[in-house]
Amino acid sequence: MAELAIRTQGLTRTFEKVRALDDLTLEVPAGSVFGFLGPNGAGKTTTIRLLLGLIEATSGSAQVLGFDTRTQGDEIRARSGALLEHSGLYERLSAEDNLRFYGRVARMPKAELDQRIQELLTHLGLWDRRKEAVVKWSRGMKQKLAIARPLLHRPGLVFLDEPTAGLDPVAAASLRDDLAGLASRQGATIFLTTHNMAEAEKLCNLVAVIRQGKLLAVGSPTDLRSRGGGQRTEIAGRGFSDAMLATLRQHADVSQASVENGRLILVLKNGAGVAPLVSIIVREGGEVQEVRSGQGSLEDVFLTMMEEDHKE
Amino acid sequence: MNADFITVLWKEWKEIVLERSSSGAGSYRPLILIAVLGVFVPFRMRPERFFSPEQLLLPVFLCAFVITAVIADSFAGERERHTLETLLASRLSDRAILFGKIAASLAYGWLISIAAIVVGAITVNVVNWNGQIAMYRDEASWLILLLGPPLLGGVVATAGVLVSLHAATVRQAQQTLAVGFMVLMLGGVFGSSALPAEWKVWFARMLLTWTMAGLVLAAAGVVLAIDLALLLAGMARFQRARLVLD
Repeated sequence: MAELAIRTQGLTRTFEKVRALDDLTLEVPAGSVFGFLGPNGAGKTTTIRLLLGLIEATSGSAQVLGFDTRTQGDEIRARSGALLEHSGLYERLSAEDNLRFYGRVARMPKAELDQRIQELLTHLGLWDRRKEAVVKWSRGMKQKLAIARPLLHRPGLVFLDEPTAGLDPVAAASLRDDLAGLASRQGATIFLTTHNMAEAEKLCNLVAVIRQGKLLAVGSPTDLRSRGGGQRTEIAGRGFSDAMLATLRQHADVSQASVENGRLILVLKNGAGVAPLVSIIVREGGEVQEVRSGQGSLEDVFLTMMEEDHKE
Repeated sequence: MNADFITVLWKEWKEIVLERSSSGAGSYRPLILIAVLGVFVPFRMRPERFFSPEQLLLPVFLCAFVITAVIADSFAGERERHTLETLLASRLSDRAILFGKIAASLAYGWLISIAAIVVGAITVNVVNWNGQIAMYRDEASWLILLLGPPLLGGVVATAGVLVSLHAATVRQAQQTLAVGFMVLMLGGVFGSSALPAEWKVWFARMLLTWTMAGLVLAAAGVVLAIDLALLLAGMARFQRARLVLD
């Protein structure tokens, strides 16, 4: 059995009457890039806080890098890096001083710290501006620096809470490339929360889907796609009315139905046929010009899961 | 613990200095305070008055005043700028964070009050030059000089950190501190005037039996006890889970 970086059993956390995390049982192998997917308020940040030993579980247990989160939070925090909901950068300080502070916190020897700062900032294209106060930087640059910070001391485990949130698509793509490069070179376990499915698909070799504190599925992106996504069918044509969409959504074979850029997008359950649905569309007054079918994306799987869970 | 304490102190010091050097008129504030208390006030003063123990109360209160402005930012500022949770998610111990923040603000206030005293001493000597250097000569003055800023500054820093731990914003922390100190001062003034006359006489007679140095040491002992009580309260209030969820 592969060595585990994280192991939780029935981990539960309630805030007054709200159950933020509900009986989470999870295993994250060491060295994996693990995507923790869920909509806002799903319990992703609470999970990270619990795993770092920042807050206590209401019930259940968790071991991170072999340490108990309830009693050995100090050990976990010493051996991991975390980019939480906010960048955590000191904006009055320079980029170099931000990294130097956290390098000193991690007790890195000065020579090694100097070398590592240069290596990371050069890799991220920030070296020339290392002396500037971070407050003067663009959001994309700040987020790059924020990602460099938890990787600085080469921890065995890195938590990244929505690292590309709020960035424009170009900056997010660039950051993803940097993150993939840094992760593969460093060989650390990465626990990444996101609601960006493309990001999860690109970076993660294992993903879990969570909604309202409950774990809905765990597996590799390919595994999840084949397990839950069914096929994605794109229909070009005209007259796709709201009433038609409502009828299609009620159909037993349809997981999702929506109109995007004038095209009808259907996510069908595994083994479902398209022909009966085309009949419904025509009967409802629609015109079908072209039908294309393919494997659903991770986003389709995610949305299907959210919809099915919501129906339940 | 020591290395972590120094690391937090280093970061806090940089932030305090950079905040004041990057905020326009704010960057001159410490210099203005030093100029007023170190040049303007001593300029017309005779050396015997300047080097009296009572006159030292001014720089001691300057230290407390400067710390009030800085300490409000300690935790409330981190919370406001969303850096607190990242700091708490590091391997730093609770004590290293707490003591590092208190020590940085204390050092800043102390440095400014010492600078005001040194500049003041130079000013008085230059203005009243008679071929001899005037200096503090009595024990009580040296005790106030050495113990006053750290002990009174310590009360402000530890009380300030307690307020800052609770406050949602820096402004809220500053306002709470200002109101708190005003209530304390007014309470002291009105409270002492409300005391029965025979108590006041007894107290005055008792004070007259003490030397000035003895009085300073007794006052220092009381202030030190308050320092320690506030520090213990701060340590008890510093709970990561509460700070993360606040």
